[in-house]
Amino acid sequence: MKIRFILNGETKVIDVEADRRVIDVIREDLGLTGTKEACGRGECGSCTILVDGSPKLSCLMLAAQLEGREIITIEGIKKDSDMHPIQEAFIKHGAVQCGFCTPGMVLVSFDLLKRNKKPSRDEIREAISGNLCRCTGYQKIVDAIEAAAKREL
Amino acid sequence: MRLPSFNYLEPITLTDALNLMEEYHGRAQPLAGGTELLPRMKLGLTHPTYLMSLKEIHELKGIKSNKNELYIGGMTSLREIFLSTLLQQKFLAISEAAGSVAAPPLRNMGTIAGNLCQDTRCFFYNQSYFWRRGLKPCFKAGGNVCYAVPGSKKCFSVYQGDLAPALIAFNAKVRIEKKGSSRIIPIEELFSGKGEKPIVIADDELLTQVIVPIPEGIYGSSYRKFRLRNALDYPLVSAAAFLAIDSEKKVKSVKVVLGAAGPAPVIVKEAEDILKGKKVEESAINEIAEAAYKRAQMVDNLGLPASYRKKMVRVFTKRAIENAFNSIK
Repeated sequence: MKIRFILNGETKVIDVEADRRVIDVIREDLGLTGTKEACGRGECGSCTILVDGSPKLSCLMLAAQLEGREIITIEGIKKDSDMHPIQEAFIKHGAVQCGFCTPGMVLVSFDLLKRNKKPSRDEIREAISGNLCRCTGYQKIVDAIEAAAKREL
Repeated sequence: MRLPSFNYLEPITLTDALNLMEEYHGRAQPLAGGTELLPRMKLGLTHPTYLMSLKEIHELKGIKSNKNELYIGGMTSLREIFLSTLLQQKFLAISEAAGSVAAPPLRNMGTIAGNLCQDTRCFFYNQSYFWRRGLKPCFKAGGNVCYAVPGSKKCFSVYQGDLAPALIAFNAKVRIEKKGSSRIIPIEELFSGKGEKPIVIADDELLTQVIVPIPEGIYGSSYRKFRLRNALDYPLVSAAAFLAIDSEKKVKSVKVVLGAAGPAPVIVKEAEDILKGKKVEESAINEIAEAAYKRAQMVDNLGLPASYRKKMVRVFTKRAIENAFNSIK
């Protein structure tokens, strides 16, 4: 079936099979491999994307359900060719190790900072509670998000 | 993990959806948030021929209320229920239950109807096709053995929904519709009590609305959930409590409901006899916790040993009642 949606500000019209998931379309059909698949069953948050502004898991969404929606992936948050301040803060604070959870972490932080300009550490923890990281121990990720909120990069 | 193949249906009105349910004679599987159904499909636990997305049916979304009742559309997201000020003020346990489900992205996706109608779970069933291939099918998979309780004659899978105990504590009802008719039943009647087929809803029916009566007078409520991680996990034990008192602080009505304590939510019926007409005191709370402990049916088929989870029933029942009492304003 044909679906039309907006991906990172660009209108896309593509043909998809019913059983394709959003992550398959993003990674394979459209070649944006920033979005990662890890557990594939909604336990890790690696595949998080923003659908109409709110974080959702692209491994548990059918491509057909993208019709008419606006989605943002990790590739879509940079400004011009610069990194987004959250991404800079992640690098500066050592919040990236293997990097597999990073796209999801950055996108949920992006959503948090849009809703809440000055989140507390507890609010940050709540926001990233659906995203698992096996490397950093989370402290550095919380530091990075806190710094991005305060713009202390 | 890929999905098995299926055909996709996407009605945009409830009437269309109910027509499709009838037309496909129960072979159209309703898809709400997808956070439970799609992982089950990936594991090969269910193989729907037709998947019918309800996401575009706007009449099934949203929270409304009048003087006597609160109406929550079946496709309302758990996030919306968690953040609703009306629910936080008047139905705290329901808001707490919605806010305790999984994690923020999953709450953006998951719906109240999907949460209520979720299937029961068991370590010996919710496994990959590869894992299960070496064993004969268990009761839950249509066979006649149980690996959790060898030699047993029935399925011991556990209902781990968060919303149902909180809604039952508020005497909530659900509207179930099919083409040309609609019925309203108390939520507890949605559950069969059988692990093999825990939800009593016909193949051509949809759960379209949750109706919660607004209690009168002074009351409080609470939902407490025991799990290993503070996010993502299903409850290993949970307890919801509703407590209404009169001007002398004597209990007018009380309802305590357990989650993850059997194949259906468990109502601790003794609570009313123990507390009604009395003040809320520790001895009475302990007595209800003891009754809850006796009612909980647990076997070794979830994240922690059954004996430990059963002991936690006492602890979380007490916490739910105490929190409900403390939330009374």
